[in-house]
Order: sequence, then C-alpha cells, then structure tokens
Amino acid sequence: MKKKKLSRKEKTYIAILVPIVLLFFLFNTWPMLNGFFYSFTNYKGYGTYQTVGLQNYIDLFQDERVLHSYLFTFKYAICGTILVNVISLIMALGLNSRIRFKSALRGAYFVPNILGGLIIGYIFSFIFTYILPALGEMWNIGWLKNSILSSPTYAWIGVLIVGVWQAVAMTTIIYISGLQTVPEDVYEASRVDGAGKWTEFFKVTLPLIIPFVSINLILTTKNFMMVFDQIMSLTSGGPAQSTESISFLIYKNGLDGGQFGFQCANAVIFFIVIVLFSVVQQQITSKKEEQL
Amino acid sequence: MKLKNAWLAAIGTAVCLTMGGCSDSSQSGKREIEILNYKPEAIDTMQKIEDRFNETHDDIHLTISSPNQAMTILKTRLIREDAPDIVGIGGDINYSNFLDADLFEDISDVEAVSQAKEGYMDIEKSLELVEKEGTYALPFAANAAGILYNVDMFEEHGWQIPETWDEFIALCKTIQSEGITPLYFGFKDTWTTLAPWNALAVENAEADVCTQVSEGNTTFEAEYKEVADKMKEMLEYCEPNPFAYSYNDAAIAFANGQAAMWPIGSYAIPQIHSNNPDLNIGSMVFPGTDNADDRILNSGVDLQFSIMKDCPDKEAAKEVMNFLYSDEILDLYLEEQGGVSAKKGDFETPENLNGMREFIESGNVADFHDHHYPSEMAVDALIQTYLLDDSDQAATTFLQKFDKDWQRYNRELIRRLKEENAGNESGS
Repeated sequence: MKKKKLSRKEKTYIAILVPIVLLFFLFNTWPMLNGFFYSFTNYKGYGTYQTVGLQNYIDLFQDERVLHSYLFTFKYAICGTILVNVISLIMALGLNSRIRFKSALRGAYFVPNILGGLIIGYIFSFIFTYILPALGEMWNIGWLKNSILSSPTYAWIGVLIVGVWQAVAMTTIIYISGLQTVPEDVYEASRVDGAGKWTEFFKVTLPLIIPFVSINLILTTKNFMMVFDQIMSLTSGGPAQSTESISFLIYKNGLDGGQFGFQCANAVIFFIVIVLFSVVQQQITSKKEEQL
Repeated sequence: MKLKNAWLAAIGTAVCLTMGGCSDSSQSGKREIEILNYKPEAIDTMQKIEDRFNETHDDIHLTISSPNQAMTILKTRLIREDAPDIVGIGGDINYSNFLDADLFEDISDVEAVSQAKEGYMDIEKSLELVEKEGTYALPFAANAAGILYNVDMFEEHGWQIPETWDEFIALCKTIQSEGITPLYFGFKDTWTTLAPWNALAVENAEADVCTQVSEGNTTFEAEYKEVADKMKEMLEYCEPNPFAYSYNDAAIAFANGQAAMWPIGSYAIPQIHSNNPDLNIGSMVFPGTDNADDRILNSGVDLQFSIMKDCPDKEAAKEVMNFLYSDEILDLYLEEQGGVSAKKGDFETPENLNGMREFIESGNVADFHDHHYPSEMAVDALIQTYLLDDSDQAATTFLQKFDKDWQRYNRELIRRLKEENAGNESGS
C-alpha cells in the first residue's frame, strides 16, 4: 500500500483540530469518565472510599427526592419549551415585519440574554416577595397577596416565568434569522394563489423554517432541563423541596451534602436522558423539513 | 519541521492551562499558613487577626480567607486535593464527617487545647461519629440559641420574660391582641427552621436521641412528637406567610421593630445591628418546657480550628493555633462578633446575652441536635415541608418520613455502630 502524503491544506486542518480535540478530551471527556467511575463508589468528595458496584443506581431509582426532581424538571422543561417557542415565534414575526425602530426593538428584546441568570433571579425574587404582594394589597387581589415563591404548589410557575423571560431573547434572534432566509418570491407566489395570512404562515413560512424550529426546540429543551441559576437565586429548591431540579440536586447533595458518588450516578443517568431527548426530537423534526 | 513545532506549542499550551493553578506566588522564604474560615460575616475581624499575626511574626506568613458558602468551597477544594492548612468551621455534622474521613491531625500536644473549657471539649467528643483517640479540634467561640427580643418594646408595654411554654403562648396572645406581631420567622431560608427546632429539641428530647435511634432503641416518631407540635403552634403567632421571607428579610424586619421576638441564635445579633445599630436586643432561654427549672440553653461550638492532615508545616500551624487562642485575639473576636468564649478565663459575655448568662456560667447547656443530622438528608427542608402541611396527620407524616430517611442516609453509620457493638459484646 502506498503511503499517501498529507497535503499542506490537510496539515493545517489537523493542526487546528488536534489542540481542540485535546482540550475537549481534557476538560470534557476525561472529567466525564472520572464521574462515571465515581458513580460506582461511595465517595463523599473527600477521604477514603470503596467501590459499591451498582448500589448507587439501585438507590437512585428508589429515592423519592431524586424521582421528584426528575418530575419537576420534565414538567418545567416541557412547559418552558412550548411557551418559549410560541412566544419567540410570535415576537420574531413581529420584529421581522415592516415596523419603526425595528433594530432598536430587536436590541432591547435581546437584553435579558446578556444579563446573568443569578442577577435576574435576585431581581425577580425581590419583585415576587415585595412588589407583587404590595400591589395585591393595594388592589385587593387575594392571590397576589402572598409571594408565589412561598407556595409549594405554585412556586415552580414563578421559576418558569423567570426562565421563559430570559430564554425568549436568544430563541427570538434565531427565529428572526430563520425568517430572513425565506425569499420574498415564495410569499408573492402564495399570494397570487390566493392564500390568506394564516395559510401563508402554516403552509409557507413554517415548513421553510423547520430547521430553525428544530434547533430551537433542542436548545431550549436542553437549557430548561439543566435549569440551575434561577432555582439557586429564586427558591434554593424550596419551599418544601418542590422546586429541586436535577442539576440543583446534583450540585447541592453532591458537593455540599457528601453524596458525591451517588450524585455522580445521578449525573450519568441525567446525561443519558438528555441525549435520548435530543435524538428523539431531532428524529421527529427532521422528517418535517422542506427544501426549496 | 515547522508543523512539529506548531504541535508542540499547542500541546504545551494545553499543559500550561491545566497546570497553571499550581504555581502560587509564595512570599520570599516565609513559611505559608492558610486558614479557611467558614464565617463570611467575620471577614473584617479575621483580617485584623491576620494583620496582627503578620506584624509580630517574621518567619511565618498567615492568610485567612473567609469566602461566602465556605463549606461548599472547602469541599470542592478537597475534591481538587488543594486543602488549606487550618480550617475554621463549626462544630457540626461537617466536622464529624471530615474527622471520620481522617482529614484532621491530632492536636493533643498543642498548648491551647488544655486551656479550653471542658464543657465544649465534651461537645467536641460527642461529635465523633465513632469514638476516636486524641483531640482534633480547638473550640474557639460558642453561640447560644433561644429567643431574641426587642427590649424597648418589652419595657414600653410592660411584658414579662416568659419562663414556661404556657407563659410564652400567653405572652404571644397578649402581644397579638395589642396589634403587634409577636414572632418573626425567615422560613424561606430553610435552615432558619432549625433555630427554634433545636432550642425546643434540647428541652423536649433526650440529648443522645440520634445515637439512640441509630442503635435501634427508639424512634423519632416517639421522641420528637412534642417538638413538632410546639413548632406548629408557634405559626399562629408569626407574620403572615413566613415562608416568603428569608433570614435577611427577618433580620431587617426585626431590626425595624416589626416584631417583638425572633427565635434565632446569638449569631444573628451582628446581622440585626448592621441594619439598625441602635436596637436594644435582649435574649432569653427558649421557654419550651412546662417547668421553668427544666429549661436548658441550646449552645454549641460556633467556630473551632483544626489542622489538616495534609498540612506540610504542622509546627507552623500549631504556632498559629496558640496565637489564635491568646486572650488578646479572643477579646478582639468576641467584642466584634459576639458569642461566648470557649477558652477558660475571665471573658466578658456580651450584654445582649445577659438573659442566658446564668445558664452559660452554670454549664446548663446542650448541643444543637442538627449537628448530628446528615446534611444531605436536608432535615431543615423536611421541617419546612411539615410546617407547610395543613392536614391533621402532618406531624405523623413528617416524623415517619424523618425515621425512614434517617435509616436511608445513615445506612453506613448504623452498620458500623452495629459492628462496633457486636465487637464490644464478644470482646467483654
């Protein structure tokens, strides 16, 4: 077999690629393999440890608190993803139409994405705890008088509002760029054929921006599943442990609570769940794509 | 050839990135000692202590860091195998776990240890999950938990300090009838539920209840029933919806005179004074019993120092320990941070704690029960859940879950205690 010499171009590509692969392995793959190993131990995060086989995984499926955190996270992610995508699409349609101050408005709607999750959380925490109840007192609205964050039944809605408010910004920008890829002549053709505004949206615009819908769905689902900042700053998992998300529980009990090994097992399961979610979503949306 | 160089450079960069954190810039030739202090509110005092040490010592350089969420930071640093030389932590379950993981050095030969009050050395001993030879912690300052009250408000209305549970409830009713909120809680921060819980538990349950349950002699359902009932009863006399407010919110509200009493520990006094320096704060032992003579003060070690086993220069660390335990430093700390000295000798008990002085001096104190609860069990959140539960069976549900979770989170300890007991029996 003749050894093929690499061309100059290929060498450059490899020179760019190798450091990235190395860094990725060092900071992503290696820690992950480490975590996978620790998930079979009773490591507390310090001191000595023993391997305990599958004990952590057996405990995981019987732990009410873990189960509850999964239910909360799924509920939160599903509601969040639907809300964010519907709201963003509507906003994108608005910001893509011929209106005044379009660029300024686009900039303004993007601000929540620049602010840090913790800052937003603390500001909203103040609004929920003091401002809204004060308004409720003033206008005598019963359900507003108590902070939504103090109710075990409704606190998750408070967290959801903040999560959606922040996530809409990025999603809207992606939808706007999606809408700009639809050429004007397709609209003209549909109008000539007598399509109304609704038909135009559902039969022309939506099928053509499905790739963007698909990427947005995956991104928002993933981000909502990994919710952490908002919980940390708004509720710390309370009241009555009703808003503990999976990542929050992994952080809290893994690092703070001496359950490092057990929560590593939780992280492994969580990783598998997110991969499954993304693959299934990709499969469903890719079938609906249209090409011009 | 050129390409090879590029590769090497790239790999070199990657290696540098990973190793960068290791090379700390150390002072020229001096022996370095770092203390990680878990009380961020004491940061100014710690800075002064650090300065005083460095001014008087030429051969050792001391650094004291007081980050927020220090316990998490400490644990993260332990995972990274980058431990400080000395840790200043509380006498709680974290200490028990660290000690059990064999992280601490035996400091029996440090001079300061012999100057500590016996009562607090006993508490240190009781924190050992499984009994251990030697001394591993130097108790520095203790705190006391009960009820803080607004002295001026009490004098103005002529209210008497209650000494029994019935008097306490009667007082709450009186205060309420005068249009003032009797109690303030900050139950949004779950840990604040533990303050009244501990104070009630030391008076209404046995001191070694946790060990007793672990050994299978009793259940929490039997032992904590009264504590749970009394916790719930207090909810009738606090601000509406206490679960909406955090510890900070409660400190501000109490500082502004929005409530007459706050069931919390002495550690809250600096926090209250930072919001209102003029507030006249008094303290009382929790009136949680039917008989005034049965009252016990809830007091534990708030700050203690231990040397890490991995500390490279243990002699220097021991010198720092002796320095920390000098009268001068303790006076400075107590004056600025409040609390009770854990060192024998003539130290002033802060004026705010006058109501508890008698108990402190006679040693009629008991350690916080939650110092024995595993932190991952989140008992504070369980208590919060219970207080939010309106059903008639709330107490039963809560205590049964308490018992069930206890077995689950203490599985290994219970197994070890069993082995230990079996070993003792066959040995004797």
